[in-house]
Amino acid sequence: MRPFQFHSPSNAAEALQKHTKDQKTHYLGGGTNLIDLMKEDVERPDHLVEVADLPFKEISKTANGGLMLGATLNNTDTANHTDVRKNYPLLTMAMLSAATEQIRNMATNGGNILQRTRCPYYFETSMPCNKREPGSGCGALNGANGKSAIFGWSESCVATHPSDMCVALAALNAKVHVEKEDGSSRVIPFSEFHRLPGDQPEKDTTLEIGELITGIELPESQFPDHYYYYKVRERSSYAFALVSAAVGLKLSGNTITKAGLAIGKVAHKPWKLEKVEKFLAGKEATLENFEAAADLAFEDAQPLSKNAYKIELGKKTLVQALVRAAARS
Amino acid sequence: MKTKTTSGIGNPLSRLEGKLKVMGKAKYSSEFAFENLAFAQGIQSTIASGTITAIDTSEAEKQEGVLKIITYQNALELKGYNGRVESPSTKGISPSLQTPEVHFYGEYIGVVVAETFEQARYAANLIKVTYAENKHKINFEENLDSVYKPDKANGQPADTSWGDLEAGLQEAAAKIDVTYNTPIEHHHPMELHNIIAVWEGDKVTAYASTQMVENAVITIAETFQMPKENVRVITPYVGGGFGSKLQLREHATLGIMAAKMVDRPVQFTVTRHEMFTAIGFRQHNQQRMRLGADKDGNLIAVGHDTTSHTSFTEEFQETCGLMTRMLYKTPNSLVTHRLMKLNLPSPRWMRAPGEAPGSFALESAMDELAHELRMDPAELRIQNDTQKDPSNDKPFSSRQLVECIRIGAKKFDWKNKWNPKPGHTQKENWMVGYGMSASSRAAPYLKSSAEVTLKRDGETVTAVLKTDATDIGTGTYTILGQTVAETLNLDIEDVQVELGDSKFPVSPGSGGSWGAASFANGAREACINAINNLKTLASTDENLSIVELMQQADLTEHNAKGTAAPTEEFDDYSVYSFGANFCEVWVDKDTGMVRLEHFVNVASAGKILNPKTAYGQIIGGITWGLGQALTEHTEVEPNYGNFITRSFADYHVPVNLDLGKIDVVFVPEEDYIANPMGVKGIGELGITSIAAAIANAVFNATGKRVRDLPITPQKVVTTPVTA
Ligand SMILES: Cc1cc2nc3c(=O)[nH]c(=O)nc-3n(C[C@H](O)[C@H](O)[C@H](O)COP(=O)(O)OP(=O)(O)OC[C@H]3O[C@@H](n4cnc5c(N)ncnc54)[C@H](O)[C@@H]3O)c2cc1C
Ligand code: SF4
Repeated sequence: MRPFQFHSPSNAAEALQKHTKDQKTHYLGGGTNLIDLMKEDVERPDHLVEVADLPFKEISKTANGGLMLGATLNNTDTANHTDVRKNYPLLTMAMLSAATEQIRNMATNGGNILQRTRCPYYFETSMPCNKREPGSGCGALNGANGKSAIFGWSESCVATHPSDMCVALAALNAKVHVEKEDGSSRVIPFSEFHRLPGDQPEKDTTLEIGELITGIELPESQFPDHYYYYKVRERSSYAFALVSAAVGLKLSGNTITKAGLAIGKVAHKPWKLEKVEKFLAGKEATLENFEAAADLAFEDAQPLSKNAYKIELGKKTLVQALVRAAARS
Repeated sequence: MKTKTTSGIGNPLSRLEGKLKVMGKAKYSSEFAFENLAFAQGIQSTIASGTITAIDTSEAEKQEGVLKIITYQNALELKGYNGRVESPSTKGISPSLQTPEVHFYGEYIGVVVAETFEQARYAANLIKVTYAENKHKINFEENLDSVYKPDKANGQPADTSWGDLEAGLQEAAAKIDVTYNTPIEHHHPMELHNIIAVWEGDKVTAYASTQMVENAVITIAETFQMPKENVRVITPYVGGGFGSKLQLREHATLGIMAAKMVDRPVQFTVTRHEMFTAIGFRQHNQQRMRLGADKDGNLIAVGHDTTSHTSFTEEFQETCGLMTRMLYKTPNSLVTHRLMKLNLPSPRWMRAPGEAPGSFALESAMDELAHELRMDPAELRIQNDTQKDPSNDKPFSSRQLVECIRIGAKKFDWKNKWNPKPGHTQKENWMVGYGMSASSRAAPYLKSSAEVTLKRDGETVTAVLKTDATDIGTGTYTILGQTVAETLNLDIEDVQVELGDSKFPVSPGSGGSWGAASFANGAREACINAINNLKTLASTDENLSIVELMQQADLTEHNAKGTAAPTEEFDDYSVYSFGANFCEVWVDKDTGMVRLEHFVNVASAGKILNPKTAYGQIIGGITWGLGQALTEHTEVEPNYGNFITRSFADYHVPVNLDLGKIDVVFVPEEDYIANPMGVKGIGELGITSIAAAIANAVFNATGKRVRDLPITPQKVVTTPVTA
């Protein structure tokens, strides 16, 4: 690990002011991702500004009937909060499928949505990787890409976003609240928060340097009855997804009145299925419709040399998530 | 007071050192404190083949705390391979940094020694190495035409045959000809490989995590060309080995070298990431199985051809065909082993080298044959049982394979449950399947010595047993304590066991499943000698207690040594443990995720010294077998040749939730040909054929035969139904 300075501010203003507004400073949440990357010599900050103890640990009701999840609250307490469990059980299910209890206890909500890809080339400093070292090439493009993206990738990066929480947040149409040093704040719709790699794979999100995440807003109660997060992985727990699907349905009788859908581990960002959401709205909750929805979801998929299985597996995962969400009552 | 009936052999005692471990008081090799301790961090090559042309250490040298940077340019001269490809041996040399040549990605090409671990690691990151690269060979499939026949496959003949395989296949009413692949797998003992090297003049003491103390001494002495007497190895507790710690590896050499060069004690701990390249692994094995049977299910042809890879510096091939040579009777057999050289690290021994991947091929193929024959796979095994080893015509010292199968079948309710039609049982989205397999593992027995010291205080005698044997988490302390308690008829509380020091009498070390049998017989021999000595000293023939004998001889202390070794009779027999596995798996019909619901293992492995520690070995074996079947896989980066599964986040070992209910049955067995105590090893039997039972159950559930391990969701989804 390289030497760095550690700052432990007591409020947001101080944290924002400590940030040098360049790549040399990183905020530190639970550290479950950033510290690993520093040990691997991937991230080399000169300054760490600890934000894990900043007072954004509340879960509070918003004026328009939604919920604000504090950015520094840990993943365990967020997932298990009564209001989350009751009104956004899809989020609980997704969050509890991630990592282990120990990691979830450390991980913050802000850190979770900013966690970096698990692309092995990104972690291995002796390998080419445009995300880690712009211009060095993409090792995965023609290499070990079995777990890489099938949507929205570019020649410069084929990485996937690994977070489970984010797949649910995409399905739920969340918003990210951030603050700047001048005291101003802005709200970023979740679908605009993460970005596709294009020719700037080093940029995961549209967050500007130095901006501090303060909370994640959920719109009013979403899919409390019909929901499912289906995560397919290589062992029963403590593994990142091969592919996952977050499904929320609103049913009237057997008719779908509204759907919130996203799939995970298929792209550089949680893959929101807006087209499919529209397709399903007004349709009956039948297997045929679910299969048609899955075909639609994957129609633009562009597999790489070793990940074509994700199309077949992804479709089945989405169909099963839809079936299970509809069957819940 | 406990007597031998409660604390002698056969009792399920908890580990004698368990409390120390829980309290953190059991000292592992990295926990010995030295005031002046410095830390070494390896530097690894970042190409798979070539020559180092320049090493720029200037930045690193400037850093605080850096004491020394060692590369081939300034390394101590060691005994080297001189370009020869040697078969690795557990007491072979471990040279490092002797040439600028690079043979694989991740090879140690230097060491930074610094005041702290963090400083060493940081400085290592600042070193810049330039290479002249060669075209590397890293792709298994592309190099299949370069295979050759090795001298030996892990000490066994590469090829064996009898009868005429082709003729047998011609005649067969049912036959199969299929190829299986088992991937590169890594052993990851919880305790990282480690050494603390301390020089005093021309003598060195190595606190090293190793399975074999005596061999470690020889490795150091030979590598550094110094007298054996000047080397001491200490390793009282070892946090798992699984074959990776049979031989002291390059990190140990580098730690000893660094300590010499900075003239301070030096610790070199292999990082978890380096564990993928520095300590060996199980090689990728491609196995073609050809089986032929008559219409009644009698095997008339058995062919097993294994192709694997070795490195450019060493020749190693695990003997995948070993079990195929001896498990079933057949008039026609051909078993071969072939190797190619790749720019990958040298493969080495990993728990049940040969049997673990070999049994997957053989026992899957038997299942495929049973399916062809429309026969119950358990009955097919029973039908082809033999009481004589077909590879050498020797009788088995004992063989209860059929009993194991019958007992397991009953416990599992196989007869009622098993149904050859895939898809027979569905529970919600799960397809239920049943599978079974048979297993065997050699039960070697080697020369082993121990020393027992008896002390009498009035009416109480306490015993201290010493041997250089190791406890790699398996329970050696406990079973040796029980052996001493049993033989001397003492309370276990009055017995102390000391292990893992080269000053103690020599044992063969922990490996090859010979540990328990060899160590225990050695300990027993020392105790018997003590009793006999005391009888002489007490001038009596009577069977008096140890206290009485010592009183009668008027002794307060007595010391005796003993050595046990196989007799000539041992060689007249084939000595093996046997087992049977039955399991139920559930496979998600859409996503292909597999879950183990129930596993029954029956083992016939001689006298069980301690059912609790033995059970631990078997469930550990089943867990690892499950990993082999479903999750574990090291991937070679196709362009650069490094292992791209580089951490536990990528290399998946099973988690608790992956395991279902596990039942283990030990079949009583008395086999005094194996050794005087009738003890056989179980560590490697425990993993053998586990993967086959699970894969067979996956087929039974889905009709999909996944012949390339591990059986991941992506493979289940993309494999076609063939039944
Ligand atoms: C072994 C392992 C397995 C895992 N498995 C899974 C899994 O299955 N599914 C899954 O979804 N996740 C998994 N994770 C990832 C885990 O969820 C993340 O590491 C965690 O959520 C990150 O949160 P953190 O607070 O520790 O982030 P940190 O490591 O502290 O920070 C991550 C990034 O966020 C930035 N940051 C943190 N807080 C803020 C803020 N308030 N404002 C602006 N920037 C901020 C930091 O600067 C840093 O760049 C796993 C992790 C590990 C180590
Ligand atoms: S996919 Fe992205 S993260 Fe992976 S090697 Fe390519 S550039 Fe790096």
